Amino acid sequence: MSPLPQTSSPLRRPARLAVNAGLVIFLALYAAIAFLQPNYLEPGLFMNFLRRAAPLVILACGQLYVILTGGFDLSMGAVATLAVLAASILINGDPETTWAVIGTLYVMGIAVGLVNGLVVAFLKVPSIIATLGAMLSVNGLALAWSGGAARGDLPDNFRNLGRLVWRGVPLVGTLPLAAVVLAGFVALAWWGLNGTVYGKRALAVGDNPRAAELAGTPVAATRILAFVVSAVSAVTAGILIGGFSGVSVNAGEGLELQAIAACVIGGAQLLGGRGSIWSAVFGALSLFALFTLLNLIGLPQALRDSIQGVILIAAVGASLWRTRRRT
Amino acid sequence: MTAAPALSMSGISKAFPGVRALDGVDFDCLPGEVHAICGENGAGKSTLMKILGGSYRPDAGEIRLAGANVHFTHPRQAAEAGISIIHQELSLLPHRTVAENIFMGREIARRGILDRAAMRETAAALLCRIGAQIDPQAPVSSLSIAMQQLVEIAKALLLDARILVMDEPTAALDERDSRALLELVGTLRGEGVSIVYISHRMPEVTAIADRITILKDGRKVWTRPREAAPIGEIVRAMVGRDLEDFYPPPPASPPGAVLLAVKDGANAALRDIAFDVRAGEIVGVAGLEDSGKGALAQALVGDAPFSGGTVALRGRPVALRTPRQATAAGIGYLPGDRKREGLALRQSVRDNALLTLRSMAGLFTRPGRGAFAPRAIDGKLRDMDVRAADFGQEIGTLSGGNQQKAIIVRWLAQASDILVFVEPTRGIDIAAKAAIYRTMRAFADSGRGIVVVSSDMPELIGVADRILVMHQGGISGQLPRGAGEEEVMHLALGLADAPQREARA
Amino acid sequence: MTTDIAKNKPAARGLPVAVLLAGLSIGFFVAVALATGEVAQLGGQGIVGLLQRMVALGLVALGQTFVILVGSIDLSVAALISAVAVLASHVMQGDPAMILPAILLCLGLCLAVGLVNGVLVAYGGINPLIATLGTGLIVQGVLAASFGALQGAVAREFQVLAYGGVLGVPYSILLLAVLSLAAAFVLDRTLFGARVYAVGGNPEGARLAGIRTERVTLSAHVVASLFAGASGLYLAARLQSGTPWIGRDGIYDLESIAVTVIGGTILAGGKGGVAGTLAGVLLFASLDAAFNMLGIDAFLKQVLRGAIVVAAVAIHAVRTKGHVA
Repeated sequence: MSPLPQTSSPLRRPARLAVNAGLVIFLALYAAIAFLQPNYLEPGLFMNFLRRAAPLVILACGQLYVILTGGFDLSMGAVATLAVLAASILINGDPETTWAVIGTLYVMGIAVGLVNGLVVAFLKVPSIIATLGAMLSVNGLALAWSGGAARGDLPDNFRNLGRLVWRGVPLVGTLPLAAVVLAGFVALAWWGLNGTVYGKRALAVGDNPRAAELAGTPVAATRILAFVVSAVSAVTAGILIGGFSGVSVNAGEGLELQAIAACVIGGAQLLGGRGSIWSAVFGALSLFALFTLLNLIGLPQALRDSIQGVILIAAVGASLWRTRRRT
Repeated sequence: MTAAPALSMSGISKAFPGVRALDGVDFDCLPGEVHAICGENGAGKSTLMKILGGSYRPDAGEIRLAGANVHFTHPRQAAEAGISIIHQELSLLPHRTVAENIFMGREIARRGILDRAAMRETAAALLCRIGAQIDPQAPVSSLSIAMQQLVEIAKALLLDARILVMDEPTAALDERDSRALLELVGTLRGEGVSIVYISHRMPEVTAIADRITILKDGRKVWTRPREAAPIGEIVRAMVGRDLEDFYPPPPASPPGAVLLAVKDGANAALRDIAFDVRAGEIVGVAGLEDSGKGALAQALVGDAPFSGGTVALRGRPVALRTPRQATAAGIGYLPGDRKREGLALRQSVRDNALLTLRSMAGLFTRPGRGAFAPRAIDGKLRDMDVRAADFGQEIGTLSGGNQQKAIIVRWLAQASDILVFVEPTRGIDIAAKAAIYRTMRAFADSGRGIVVVSSDMPELIGVADRILVMHQGGISGQLPRGAGEEEVMHLALGLADAPQREARA
Repeated sequence: MTTDIAKNKPAARGLPVAVLLAGLSIGFFVAVALATGEVAQLGGQGIVGLLQRMVALGLVALGQTFVILVGSIDLSVAALISAVAVLASHVMQGDPAMILPAILLCLGLCLAVGLVNGVLVAYGGINPLIATLGTGLIVQGVLAASFGALQGAVAREFQVLAYGGVLGVPYSILLLAVLSLAAAFVLDRTLFGARVYAVGGNPEGARLAGIRTERVTLSAHVVASLFAGASGLYLAARLQSGTPWIGRDGIYDLESIAVTVIGGTILAGGKGGVAGTLAGVLLFASLDAAFNMLGIDAFLKQVLRGAIVVAAVAIHAVRTKGHVA
């Protein structure tokens, strides 16, 4: 009942502010890394940093689509694992089949995304539970298929996607193929949100699904598409991971939470309605820089989980505090 | 009137960001007195009562109970001080029993263990005292709205309240239940309870109140004994200006061809719905809270679709199974609950205005071109006189009137033929109200149609060319422009001997 | 509608759902046992085995029931179970004298985690999914970082909890039974229980009725953490030593939510109870036992578990009007 002020508040364009925050955090962290290891400032090492960060950035872009619409996708890591294991089994050492298999991987990913989306949109299962269920099932499927152990090897033409590095490239010196894949994927994800009406629909659905529905928005389709994009990004990340590190049964473990944490660091709002592709990109780069930094100062890997936990709570707390201060 | 007031509030002020909800309001209530508060939506009634109930803390002013100064920081303290508030929105637990609800927060327990038998007995006695035939063991979800209201009253009486606040207690009740409730209020007054009675229903107020206070825009206009406050005076004080120039003049030309025709419309909440809307016409829909008027709006926009009957737009039958289909067919919806159903609050004014256009366009449409361009929509927003420093700012920061105007722009941009308005001016200040009525008229005059569902009867009478009155899920009659509140009320109450001004088509 | 007479039916407290589910579970178990010829499973030994399968999940789920009833949720239980199991075995190091200190320390940890969860959710206003996911991650990370390589084992005497019994009934089943009855009693017969239902059913209404809703939510979170702790202690006794992954591997977070919801407790809060939750646990135990009898391999079992969890929640959720994200 309390009418709000007629005139505008000074707080405007929070999206752009948030992007800057993500970028600032990344630059600060990278500066810290460079302080400890000055050679990180060389283009070669920076490119290598990008190459290793590529899967996380790609996953974060996919996760962002789901987060914008107000959900979570916890099945990403499992889908990435599935992609790695399925590739090794299907290719079975025959480089000829690589491209056909990559197509198959995407079909499998899209199927998982569709199931996630349909379950959330029509069966009304909260996405956190639906995608946790999908995580279990997909993981189980991947393990059952591979017999629970890494089998076979990936041929070079597949692994190159993750590890090929062109040398002697003007300007940057070395250019990893993974960085090109990364740039391509980010461009595509950017286009989806800014070059079509989808992005604004997703934001409206995440902000207030009921209002969006009554305004004619195809809420279910918007949600389902987000899960499909997310699964596609997971497959892409899986292919790159298979390239760097070969076949492993826990290739994608924990990546889903990293992707969520990345989006949050970049300023996307959990439970929907706020965020841009740059939240995902810079958030993921920041998180990866943080991991690199922690490695450099010798903190145990296992603490990554804890740091993500703190980030999640702090980010949500901070956005809550901001909205409270405003009203 | 020499008795010390049971309650006295003086100089109460409360500001929310950007708005003074209350500005130095004085209010008192004697023991055994019914003191009514009248005022428009947004006048500050609810805020005043929330302060009394301990939900809000006042910025300034003091509250005295029987002369003693009190400060509440939690509703519990107010309750312990003998103040019971029956809120507009029912605060019951649907899955729990009546007895459990009555004792919510004040369970009878010994060392933490509930005494269910005692609570059952006390509940039965309380329900008996207010003349409600309700089984204390029944789950609340099985009760009608009227009965739930009685449970709320029993809940309020549990603490032997010395001050009872009733906020629109009869809003959802029909004539018989309302009369029973008023009798109950009389009984309680006889027992020495001070009753603060908030209502929009003037006949009720003048029938029951000993004194009447008018609030407007957060200030007290006056307090007078009932004898000195005829209904006309009350209304003038509430509105603060004459009503004549408030509503747009009726259209010069008679309505045109039939735009929307509904035949035999029915679903779980509706039966035998048949009416049409002509080009240039504003059709009002009146009725009590659960008469089905909200359900009719939901059916028209495909939110809770008709399960039977036919709907035709410009003579062509259309399916309205989802809001998207209704939107595609050319029916736009302005929901009554703007915050929950109308707006994406964290998105910009522009994005909210463009929402429908973007939703109905092809997925790969490029935003920022043609009708989607910021410049195009900004023009439409300016035409509608939406006031914002920047259309890129979050719509949540705008006033209710400007928000409502932005939603209207959403549907104008989509070029809908029929707009379904629900409570178009709830919580909107006077000036914006007049602007919205003018917009509605202009929209209709451009050869399109409007269905407006409202519980604000003067609004319907002022703005609608024709009023359909609903009762128990059906249309109990229709009245032409110029009908009085009495006639509408008769039909709304489903009284058979209603003065029939016009036979149903 | 004025003549609407209150239906004189006793308040249904999820009992029909519970009875139906329990019947279904037992029927399925018996059918599979007969079909696979494992008739021995239907004897006393088999039944005890089935009930024992319920203990670990049952204990967590009882706690989860409290938080879900109050309108919250707890995703940190899996990490907490691991932490308790590891801490118990680490502190005991096989020494019976350390049993009591270990238990107290573990429950202290649970109390602390529960308080943090409760404060974040009730006073901080942070969405419970995220708050408890966050605390779970923090606990898990600290655990893995500091106890990943440590060895330890619970005292032999402590293992009686998992392997001992009286009159052929294992203590663990008695523990579950006693705690279930206690939880049911608390929810149904005490002031705290009534407040839990009130806060879950209508938080604003409860606040207006003078209930300190934050305290109730906080307490429910503490209860959930303590139950998770009980489950962790039981697992430590059964496995002799805890590992930092037993909670995660057992998917106790997701499964405890799933069985609670299957049992008729609604995720929005305010409706449901212990009986339904136990029936849900029985269903999962029967499925588990049946999968074993059918010889389904571990990975496929995981696939089915994921699908069943989603399907189970969907059965109740699909009627939800409005949107879920």
